[in-house]
Amino acid sequence: MKIKGISIKDLGIYISDYLRKNGIETVLSGGACVTIYTNNKYISYDLDFVLPVYVNRKEIRGVLEKIEFYEDGRYFKHKDTQYFIDFLSPPLSVGEEPVKVISSIRKGNMVLKLLSPTDCVKDRLAAYYHWNDKPSLDQAILVCKDNKVDLKEIERWSINEDMSINFKMLKKMLE
Amino acid sequence: MLKPLFNSDKKEKILLYLYTHGESYAREIARAFKCNLNSVQNQLMNLEKGGVLYSKLKGKVRLFGFNPRYPFKKELEALFEKVLSFIPDEEIEKFYKPRLRPRHTGKPL
Repeated sequence: MKIKGISIKDLGIYISDYLRKNGIETVLSGGACVTIYTNNKYISYDLDFVLPVYVNRKEIRGVLEKIEFYEDGRYFKHKDTQYFIDFLSPPLSVGEEPVKVISSIRKGNMVLKLLSPTDCVKDRLAAYYHWNDKPSLDQAILVCKDNKVDLKEIERWSINEDMSINFKMLKKMLE
Repeated sequence: MLKPLFNSDKKEKILLYLYTHGESYAREIARAFKCNLNSVQNQLMNLEKGGVLYSKLKGKVRLFGFNPRYPFKKELEALFEKVLSFIPDEEIEKFYKPRLRPRHTGKPL
């Protein structure tokens, strides 16, 4: 596949599908999900793939090197794209809870598994709460505006995470 | 105490140190336990890779602390609390009771 000029969404689909065909399951999380769900209103350059089960780093390196990605510190990069790949250790979670529902995007016969819009909002809210990172709250709002999200579920999760104040803030900004 | 679980006495000490100090850096931890700086750095990096710790740069120092987004953080903290109750007072005083209040510039120790 031609990497030059590829969008982060298409790169995510390609990498996820390629890894799966090589026996490595992943779920995309983080800012790239925001980019995908907001149709590029927020731009992320890193693809954070969560590994639902432990995979040896050597195995990942070997597979990615076949398509000309190289390891640079904790990331994998490619000479033809500014986007880079990171792998996050299991478990797949948002805050303290495991992720139960995983969304997918198809392109031809390729599949990208990623956080649902609702879990993507939780993920951003968790970053806002724990790091006081205002851009993460803005990203959560963008995802809410452009997608069907389950606000009741986000409220339940927020209370469970002692983040009800953040949920109120989100709700107020969505009004 | 957790060596059978962590397979490393050092890792247990590092985690307990961070649990009681909130944040710290490799050199401080290595100095506290009089151990090799590189091995402390490696343990910290591995724990960060695994999502247990976060790190951030403050000036030229890389500070480490427990990742608040680690899903087992609460359970891990409960475990460390129990471990601390088994550690002799002398050792607690020496390693795990940091002075948290500020100290004036130039004030003698």
